[in-house]
Amino acid sequence: MEVCRQLRGTCNIGQASYKNRKLPGVSRALNTSEVGAENRAARGRLGKGEKLVTCEEAHAPRHVTHRKDWLSLHTGNLDGEGQAIERTVEDVFLRQFLLGSFPGCLPDQRVLKRQAHQVEICALVLRQPPVHRLYFLVGRGETLLSHFYKGPVHLQTVPSKIVYI
Amino acid sequence: MAAVHSARWLRVRRGLCLPLTGRRAAICGRAPSSRFYSGSAAVPEVEGAGATGTEEVVIPKKKTWDKVAVLQALASTVHRDATAAPYAFQDDPYLIPTSSMESHSFLLAKKSGENAAKFIINSYPKYFQKDIAEPHIPCFMPEYFEPQIEDISEAALQERIKLRKVKASVDMFDQLLQAGTTVSLETTNSLLDLLCYYGNQEPSTNYNFQQREQAEELEEATEGNNEKPQKAAGHELGVTWRAKNNAERIFALMPEKNAHSYCTMIRGMVKHRAPTQALNLYTELLNNRLRADVHTFNSLIEATAFVVNEKLEEKWNNILDLLKQMVAQNVKPNLQTFNTILKCLRRFHAIGKLPALQTLREMKAIGIEPSLATYHYIIQLFYQHENPSKGSSLIIYDIMNELMGKKFSPKDPDDDMFFQSAMRVCSSLRDLELAYQVHDLLNTGDNRKFIGPDHRRNFYYFKFFGLLCLMEQIDVTLKWYKDLIPSVFFPHSQTLIDLLQALDVANRLELIPQIWKDSKEYGHSFRRDLKEEILMLMARDRHPPEVAFADCAADIKSTYESQDARQTAPSWLASSLNCIAVLFLRAGRTQEAWKMLGLFRKHNKIPGNELLNEFMDSAEASGSPAQAIEIVKLAGAFSLPICESLTQRLMADFTLSQEQKEALGDLTALTSDSDSDSSSDSDNDVGKGK
Repeated sequence: MEVCRQLRGTCNIGQASYKNRKLPGVSRALNTSEVGAENRAARGRLGKGEKLVTCEEAHAPRHVTHRKDWLSLHTGNLDGEGQAIERTVEDVFLRQFLLGSFPGCLPDQRVLKRQAHQVEICALVLRQPPVHRLYFLVGRGETLLSHFYKGPVHLQTVPSKIVYI
Repeated sequence: MAAVHSARWLRVRRGLCLPLTGRRAAICGRAPSSRFYSGSAAVPEVEGAGATGTEEVVIPKKKTWDKVAVLQALASTVHRDATAAPYAFQDDPYLIPTSSMESHSFLLAKKSGENAAKFIINSYPKYFQKDIAEPHIPCFMPEYFEPQIEDISEAALQERIKLRKVKASVDMFDQLLQAGTTVSLETTNSLLDLLCYYGNQEPSTNYNFQQREQAEELEEATEGNNEKPQKAAGHELGVTWRAKNNAERIFALMPEKNAHSYCTMIRGMVKHRAPTQALNLYTELLNNRLRADVHTFNSLIEATAFVVNEKLEEKWNNILDLLKQMVAQNVKPNLQTFNTILKCLRRFHAIGKLPALQTLREMKAIGIEPSLATYHYIIQLFYQHENPSKGSSLIIYDIMNELMGKKFSPKDPDDDMFFQSAMRVCSSLRDLELAYQVHDLLNTGDNRKFIGPDHRRNFYYFKFFGLLCLMEQIDVTLKWYKDLIPSVFFPHSQTLIDLLQALDVANRLELIPQIWKDSKEYGHSFRRDLKEEILMLMARDRHPPEVAFADCAADIKSTYESQDARQTAPSWLASSLNCIAVLFLRAGRTQEAWKMLGLFRKHNKIPGNELLNEFMDSAEASGSPAQAIEIVKLAGAFSLPICESLTQRLMADFTLSQEQKEALGDLTALTSDSDSDSSSDSDNDVGKGK
C-alpha cells in the first residue's frame, strides 16, 4: 500500500493514463488496488492441503453448477418473479436457527429447497447424539419454524460423517 | 328445440323403462316428437333385441369433484412399500427403528419436541404474530389460553368456559352470584356441561398419549373382573364423583332447571361412576315431567349395568324398562344406544347372548347401520373364553360374510378394537381362510384406519403371522414374512420361533442363517429361547456343508460371549454348547470345536454322549491319539458313564505309544476306582482288567 502511494505521488500514472496514450485502447497502467483486496467471499483458503475442508468449502463460487450446487433453491431470482430479498432474509434466519438448534452436530451447510409455500431443509447431521434426541430436535425445529414461517417446514436429516476432500 | 323435445321424450321413455333401438333414436333425433311411441305397441321381439346392443341414453347428473380428488386418484395408484419404514420416521438407516420399543420411543421423542415447541409458541405469542401466509392458515398461529376479559360479567364467564378453565369459571360464577346478577340459564347449563365433563377437576395439561394408553390397559383389565369394587380402580383411572361437589352445588342453586341441566348432570354422574345418584336424578327428572334426550338414555343404560348388588336378569329388565320409557317419550335410539346395550351385555356372560342377537336384529329393523364396535362387542360376548373346546359358536363366520367388502367410517370410539378381537378369534379357531377374510376387510377402502394404536396393531399382526406359520405353506409364509416384517410390525421372538418351526415342518432349514441375521437386526440377539431353538434345529440332523450353519453357530457363540462379559450370571446352557460343538465338528472346524471343550469345563456343563462320540470320530479321522486321550480325560473329569466305552474304543481304534498307554492306564485306574465305588462289585473285574 505504501509503495503504491509513493508510485502514485511521483508518477501520476493512474491519472495521466489518458495523456500518455498513443494508440486507442492501449494504456500502460499499473494495478493500483490495495494488496490483498481481491475477492474473498465463499472461498476457502486452502494452503498446501494440511487443512481439512469439506467439498462445499473447497470450491469457489464460480464452480456453482459445475462442481457444486446452490445452497438455497427458490424461484425468486427468475425473470418476472419477485421477493428474492424476503427469501434471503428468511434463509439467514433459518440457517442461524439450525446452527443453534443442532449444536456441534452439523458437518456441512444446510440446503434449503422451496416449493410453493413449503420449505424443505436438508441437513447433514453427525451420528453423535442419540437417536431420540435427534428426533426431539427435528420435531421441535419443524414446529417452531412452521409457526414462524407460516408454512409447512420439513426437516430432513441425513446422518453421516464429515466428508473431507 | 328438437334436442329439447327429444330430451324430454327420452326422460319419459326412461320413466317407462323401455329401451330404444338405433333406428328409433335416429327418428326421434330428427323430427320434433309429437309422436309418442307407447311401448306397449312394441312387439316383444323389440324387447328381445333390446337385450343385446341397444343404447339406453341416460343423461348423468353433473359430478362435483372434491378439492383433493386428483391427489386421491394418484394416491390410489400407489401401494404400500414393503421395504420402507413408516413415513413418520426419517429415512436413514441410523434413524430407522429396529424394534417396536425403539419405534415407540422415537415417535414419542418427536412428539415431545413438537409439544415443547408448542409450549414456547403459546407462551410467547407476540413473536409469532406476523402473518405472511395468503390465505391465512389458522393452525400456524399461536393459541390463546388466558382469558382476556377481566371484569366480572357473564361474557367473562362464557369465555372462561370456552377456554375450559374449570376453577376460574366456578369462581367467576360465585362472584356473579354474590354481586347479585342472575346468570342466564344457557350459561349455567354450559357451566354445568364443563363441570360434568371434567368431573370438577381441571383438564390435565399433560395429556399425552402415554397416559391414555395406560388408562386403556387399566380399563381392559378392570372390565375383566368387574365383580371387584370399582372404587379402587376409579381412583387410578380417572375421576370419581364426590358428593356435594361444585356441580351439585351449582345445580342446587339454580332457580330454574330445564331438561338440559338434568341431562348433563346425569351424564356427568355416569361418566364419573356414580350410577345410583344418576338413576335418582332421573326419577326426579320424570317427576318434573321433563324429557331426557337420547344421550342421557345411553348414559342411563350404562348406569343400570354399573349398579352393583343386582342380579343380571334384573339389570336386563331394567334396561328393557328404560327402552320402553324411551319409546314412551318419543326419543329415537341411535347407534350409541345399541352399542351401549351390547357393551353392558358383555358383562352378563352367557346370559347375554340371546339378548345381544335380539338387539342386533332390532338395530337392523330400525335401519341403523351397525358399526365395527357393534361387531366387536358381539365377538367379545360370544368368544369370551379362549379355549374352543366348549363348543364355540359359528357367529364369526356370519359376521365376516356380512362385512365383506364394506367400507366403514368412524362412528364409535371402540371401532378400532374390532380387528384385534376378530384376529384373536381366528387364531383360537385356527382358521386361515377366515383370517384372510379379516385381512381383506382391513385392506378395503380406508379400513386401515381402524387397526388402532401400536400395541393393537402389533397384537393383530402377531396373531395373524402366527396363524400363517402354523397353517400355511412355507412359500406363502415367507412371502408374507418379507411383506410384513419389518415395515408393518417388528417381530416378537415368539414370532421368529414360530417361523423356525414352520421351516422345520417344511424341511427348509437352510434358511435358518438368514432368519438369524434378521433377528439380530430386530434386537433379539440376546434372547435365549430363540438362540436355543436355532441351535437345536441346526444341530439335529446332518446337513450338507454348503449350508452355512457353522458360521451362524460361531455368530451365536460370540453373542453368548459378549453377553457373558457384561453379566455375571452364566447364560450358557449345556444343550447350546453341545449344538455349537457338533456344528463346528461337522463343518470341519476342528480348532474351534476343541476350544468348545474348554468352555465346557469352564462353565461346568456336561457334554452329551453323542458329542463325545463325534469328537472321537473326528480324532480318528485326523489320526491323533493325543486328542482322543484328551476326550477320555474330559469324560473322566466329569465322571461320565460313557468314559468306559470311550476308553475301550480308544484302545481298539488307536495305536498308542507307551507313555500314552501309561497315562491312559492311570486315568482309567482313577476312573475305575470311582466307578467301582459307585457301581456294583461285579464290575470290579472289568475295571481292573484295563
